[in-house]
Amino acid sequence: MSSTGKNRARAVADIVEGEIVATIDIAAPPERVFQALVSREIVDWWVNPGTFDTREWSGDVRVGGRWRATGIGRGKPYALEGEFLEIDPPRKLVHTWQGVGAPGAPSTVTYALEPIDGGTRVTLRHAGIASPEMRGGTGVGWQTSFDRLAEILAADRG
Amino acid sequence: MNLAHANNHVFRAISDPTRRAILDRLRAGPANAGALASDFVASRPAISKHLRVLREARLIVVTRVGRERIYTVDPLPLQSVAGWLEGYRAFWQSSLGQLKRRLEGK
Repeated sequence: MSSTGKNRARAVADIVEGEIVATIDIAAPPERVFQALVSREIVDWWVNPGTFDTREWSGDVRVGGRWRATGIGRGKPYALEGEFLEIDPPRKLVHTWQGVGAPGAPSTVTYALEPIDGGTRVTLRHAGIASPEMRGGTGVGWQTSFDRLAEILAADRG
Repeated sequence: MNLAHANNHVFRAISDPTRRAILDRLRAGPANAGALASDFVASRPAISKHLRVLREARLIVVTRVGRERIYTVDPLPLQSVAGWLEGYRAFWQSSLGQLKRRLEGK
């Protein structure tokens, strides 16, 4: 794994596309990583100590099935839900994502798992995240028509 | 100018590919209008118009050095419009790190 150089997660916001792209290399086989994406194991890693803590996760892991997660973020309860769109173990998983009761279209989370020497490279894309302008109904139509503004905020602030 | 209004200026400014290229160019270092015009094979008036839009969105700042006007990028407005994404970015950066630690048994 030392040759891969991706020992820490790197997540980048693309404000033109309204999406997050993140990558990490994990010293575990793709089958093992995939299992952690589609099971209650999520409560062990959708966690940032002191900021948010996912307490429950349940899912009907089939295309068209739904998942739901609840937890505490910054002292307040939150609930997330979505639908599985594509399940291709151990290579690819696509599901929607929305705050329970939140307005607007759900966003989409895509995991791509790629075997690498000694482990798995995980590439995550969380796309279609509505901007405040779009939610407010004053959308300026920027979100789909632009070319990519690649990594203009590429600083890895983690 | 309220935040939403300011953000609309920023979105309008970055909707144009030439203006995004100018921002990318200025991220590499300050430049004057003449240098930008030669870099982009565009007329001076065209570049000046783009620079005015970027300036109105406060994405660039102008410094006068003698007779020259030097343009510098200001990333702060972009960080402001990116604020709604920051929570998601932080979520995934943190979560994927946790996933790695868990699966590697650390």
